[in-house]
Amino acid sequence: MRVGSKIALVGGVPILAAGAIALAGWMLLAQEERARGGAVLVADVYHDLATARVVRDQYAAADAQERGAFAERFARLTARAEAGLHRLTGFARIDAQRSRIASVEAALSRYRGQMDAFVRRTQDNDGLIREMAQRADTLIDLTDRARLRQQASNTDLARSLAEKVEALRVARGLVSRLGTLRARIAESAVIAKKVTVSGETRNAAEGTDQAVAPAFGSETQRAQVRFRAASRDLSEAMRADGREADADTLDELTAEVTGPIPGLGGKLDAWIERNLKIETSGQESLHDEVAQLLAYSVEANEIEQATQNIAIGTLKLGPRTAGALLRRDAALAERMLAEGERLGQNAAALPISPLIQAEMIQALDGWRKRLTTTIGGLRRQNEMIVAMDGLAAAMVESAKALNDAFVGDADRFGIFIQRILLTGATGLLLLGALVVIFVAHSILVPLRALQGDMVKLTGNPTGAAVRGTARGDEFGDIARATAVFVSEITRREGALRRAKDQADVALVELRRTQDNLVRAEKLASLGELVAGVAHEINTPLGIALTTGTLMSDEARAFRTSLTAGTLSRSRLNHFVDRVEEGAGLLCTNLTRAADLVQGFKQVAVDRVSDEIRSVALETWLDDLVASLRPMLRKGAHSLERTCPPGLVIDTNPGVLAQIVTNLVANAVVHGFRAGEPGRIVVRVSEFEGGLIRLEVADDGQGIAPQHLDRIFDPFFTTARSAGSTGLGMHIVHNLVTAKLGGRITLVSEPGRGTAVQVDFPASRAGTVTRYAPTALGTP
Amino acid sequence: MSAARRYCAALVAGLLVAADPAAARTFVFCSEGSPESFDPARATTTTTMNVAWQVYDTLVEFAPGTTTIRPALAESWTVSEDGRTYLFALRDGVRFHHNARFIPSRTLNAEDVVFSFTRQLSPGQPLGGTQEFTYFHDLGLAELIEAIDAPDSRHIRFRLREADTTFLANIAQAFGAILSAEYAAALTAAGAADDLARQPIGTGPFAFESYRPDQVLRYRAFSEHWRRVNEPAGPGERPDGLVFAITPNAAVRLTKLRAGECHAMAFPATGDLDAIRADPELTLLALAELNVAYLALNTTRPPFDDVRVRRAVNLAIDRQAIVAGVYGAAGILAQGPVPPGLWAFDPDLPAVPFDRAEAQRLLAEAGLADGFDTELWYPPVSRPYNPDGRRVADMIRADLAQVGIRAELVTRPWNAYRAALYGGMPSLMLYGWTSDNGDPDNFLNVLLGCKAAQPGGANLARWCDPVYERLVEAARRTGDRAQRQQLYRRAQGLVRAAMPWVPLAHTQVHLALRGEVFGFTMDPLGRHLFETVRFRPLPP
Repeated sequence: MRVGSKIALVGGVPILAAGAIALAGWMLLAQEERARGGAVLVADVYHDLATARVVRDQYAAADAQERGAFAERFARLTARAEAGLHRLTGFARIDAQRSRIASVEAALSRYRGQMDAFVRRTQDNDGLIREMAQRADTLIDLTDRARLRQQASNTDLARSLAEKVEALRVARGLVSRLGTLRARIAESAVIAKKVTVSGETRNAAEGTDQAVAPAFGSETQRAQVRFRAASRDLSEAMRADGREADADTLDELTAEVTGPIPGLGGKLDAWIERNLKIETSGQESLHDEVAQLLAYSVEANEIEQATQNIAIGTLKLGPRTAGALLRRDAALAERMLAEGERLGQNAAALPISPLIQAEMIQALDGWRKRLTTTIGGLRRQNEMIVAMDGLAAAMVESAKALNDAFVGDADRFGIFIQRILLTGATGLLLLGALVVIFVAHSILVPLRALQGDMVKLTGNPTGAAVRGTARGDEFGDIARATAVFVSEITRREGALRRAKDQADVALVELRRTQDNLVRAEKLASLGELVAGVAHEINTPLGIALTTGTLMSDEARAFRTSLTAGTLSRSRLNHFVDRVEEGAGLLCTNLTRAADLVQGFKQVAVDRVSDEIRSVALETWLDDLVASLRPMLRKGAHSLERTCPPGLVIDTNPGVLAQIVTNLVANAVVHGFRAGEPGRIVVRVSEFEGGLIRLEVADDGQGIAPQHLDRIFDPFFTTARSAGSTGLGMHIVHNLVTAKLGGRITLVSEPGRGTAVQVDFPASRAGTVTRYAPTALGTP
Repeated sequence: MSAARRYCAALVAGLLVAADPAAARTFVFCSEGSPESFDPARATTTTTMNVAWQVYDTLVEFAPGTTTIRPALAESWTVSEDGRTYLFALRDGVRFHHNARFIPSRTLNAEDVVFSFTRQLSPGQPLGGTQEFTYFHDLGLAELIEAIDAPDSRHIRFRLREADTTFLANIAQAFGAILSAEYAAALTAAGAADDLARQPIGTGPFAFESYRPDQVLRYRAFSEHWRRVNEPAGPGERPDGLVFAITPNAAVRLTKLRAGECHAMAFPATGDLDAIRADPELTLLALAELNVAYLALNTTRPPFDDVRVRRAVNLAIDRQAIVAGVYGAAGILAQGPVPPGLWAFDPDLPAVPFDRAEAQRLLAEAGLADGFDTELWYPPVSRPYNPDGRRVADMIRADLAQVGIRAELVTRPWNAYRAALYGGMPSLMLYGWTSDNGDPDNFLNVLLGCKAAQPGGANLARWCDPVYERLVEAARRTGDRAQRQQLYRRAQGLVRAAMPWVPLAHTQVHLALRGEVFGFTMDPLGRHLFETVRFRPLPP
């Protein structure tokens, strides 16, 4: 058996065992979780259903305007219970549970349906109750109007009554005055009769005349006065009653009575009798009318009272009915209905204003009609409540049973899992331990043998062979590999030695070639210098030649004048001035040419000689810049230099010149785009510690960042096609580091230009400090 | 007190206005009494007829305010040469009312007309009988009409035994109202034939709704009334309902009118007329009605079977005093049954004087020198022809007492009173008559003819003179007015000689309206017609 398999066996058995246990545990726990989760869910559903039942009761008992909230709560609870039941189906493990859930679900859906119907019915009923309340209000309003009308009518009635009583009083006065007048007439008649009788007596017995006659006469007169007074009294009373015509008739009739009063049966008496009849009957009739009005007023007061009673009854009826309806007391509401009917009958029986009566009866009828419907609705609601209660009880019971079933299932499952896991874990652990012991033994034995062989081989690689290369397992592999390793090491050592020798030869060759190249470059640079010098000298020499030619022409002309004898003084003066001027010009230009030659000579010497001398850096730099101008002129670039005045250093000027020349040439060739004149600055500055910094900077296009790393590499160029060798910067680097003992730094930014800084000691004497080259760039 | 009243009135007015002014408006009429029946054929008083006039239409009718005949349910009619055949063409599409138990399936047709008349004509029918239909029989129509038939559903033919000029005017009266034969059949089938007189169904401008005796009678406007359908609406607001608030006491009626509880009141008391005229909220209407108030003497009962006693009673009563005291300006002294507004009135009829001595003499001649005891019946309610029956009776009693006749005053509730009179019970009774058709025949035949002298008839004196009867019959048969006038004058002479009545007065009848209503026309026939009544538009 291979070690891998053994390790796999050792590692795998416990892993597998643990995995098996974990899997079994996970599966069993998942099952148990389902059972437990189901139980929790059932408990929630049970709780929701029980709460919903309470909420239903609250809904039924609530005021109409508060019912909405309860209905919503009920809907929420039952919806939650329904969702819970739906989820529970996923937890059900056995068919018994599923069927139980289904039955609860069905019951719940029925329950919700019933509740919906119940809500609709209560809404209908509440609407009816609202309408009833409106009717009752209308009714109260109407009864109140009826009462007010009755009051107004009663007031009118009282006024009518007062008028009639007044009329009755007047009639009674007239009747009594008529009676008085009649009595006076009768009295007068009696007196008149007495007078007649006494007259006859007097006629019969003379002499008594004088004594009796005045007595009777005065009595007659008194009767007359009394009669006229009574008549006047009656007449005035009649006038006061507005009966002018009757009063006039009376006055006339009274006036006609001039002599003795006519007595009963006369014209006046007939008049009195007639009026007495009219007045008496009128009085009777007024009596009747007053009696009727009184009776009516009593009746009217009773009506008012009855109207008020109806109003009060209506007032009581409204809240009592509302209360009965709120308590769902159909029997009491029924009694209220009967009460309403009684009120309606009372209202219909009352002789109140027919306009209001019709409306009242209509309002009461409407109220009763709605109440009847409402009571019917109430009864049905109560039946619905009973039905719903039954259903709810059954449903809650089912839910409880379901709960029990889920909990019991979960408990059983838990115990089962415990047992399984315990047994499985113990068995697997034992098995794992046995396997480990076996495998460990089978690995350790060959491993120790191999260890021994390896220790021996370190001492003498070729000494002994590795044992166990014939084994088929990993130890065999290791032994074989070790054998191969030992023979390979021996072979490679020889090959390495040969290769080193070849490399040394190649290096020498390489160095030679490099020197040749450097020299060639140096000569090329000298060539450039010569070309530059030739050009610089050409100008003063050209001017000197021209001046010389002009002077010779002038001299020839002068000679001609002189010969011809036409020479004037002024002409002579002019000639002298011209010669003088020409000689000055020749001197100046030739001196310049001589200076140039001298300067170039030094530069050229410097180029070829490696000698170190003292250099006045400012002057030296001016000469060098002048020699570089021709190179710049082509691209119309400008070259500036700055240098601390009076700075003198000990250095190798040839090397320094080549460095500057190469850097400027590089700037000219690579730094600028074609046709764009650039600006090159050569800046010299002095540092503390005898260090000089020479900086050549341009404002050209800069160096691409990917080229920066390779800028000092030999033969690296971007312009090989233009004839560049790729050695310029490499040489500069070598010159700086090797010849000047300094350090070179290059900073470039595409688009902004390139600056090369060369730091070197002001004096070559003393120790040479070497700087490692650094190429810095900005990305 | 006064301020409180005003406040109260304002409150009531406010409530009235607040009670939805756009809502249906009901016209309330404070009427004088309860009807005896809702069967127009049984009506003998204007009170009952006025109840019927709202519900029913007749074939022909009197234009309101006049005695002119105009077409109604009959669009047109023809009279045969001999004056004995009347052919009526019925109006198309006339609708009947409906009620809770009956919805008409058809419009008016000849069947209804035949039914309405034959039930009065032929005794023994479930809905008929001689006794109930007094008026029809008093007029002799049962004898006059030979046959009623319908040539087709739109035509009705009346065949008379003899020519009768009063025929059209007679069938324009309340008993000529057309009932629904379909309704009657339905009621008979349901065993509720009596309801025909309790829950009337007609074609009139108002449909009967409910009735509470002595209290209130309700109608609703019948929007499909044939005249309403064809006529433009006109100004004012048409009432949606009509209510008769039954209020026998005139003072209470006036109180209700003033309070706005009713919009019109019947028969204001004589003593209140000036106050009504002075009230700016009220309008007083007056019209000399074709009526007569009289004291009937039962000529079949001793001692009033003796013409001398009747004459003595006539002479003993100071009628002038009665008219002056009770009627005032609204009455004129009557000398006979015919009112002066009628063309048959005889102005030359000599006045009966007030002569107590002559009365006593006549009584003595009749062997009643010591007088006698009797009962004097007077109406318990005010009537258009007699505003105060009790007072008139009082004064008559006083006058009779002067000649030794001791009268005891008796009365009954109105319907019982009427029944007693028509039953011939009393000897001396106060009554009156308002013409129902504007024809003299309506006074002279109905009130004094022999047919009406039968039990249940309107001839309360039960006086039957064959000579008089012939004169009245003759007058009825001819169409010549001059000849009729002649005949009626002679008849009036006979009445004067026989003195079955003490004629008392002809009256001007009054009706008071509230200012917010208009369109009511006073009617000489005593009808209260509310079809044309309108409310004035409410001020904005």
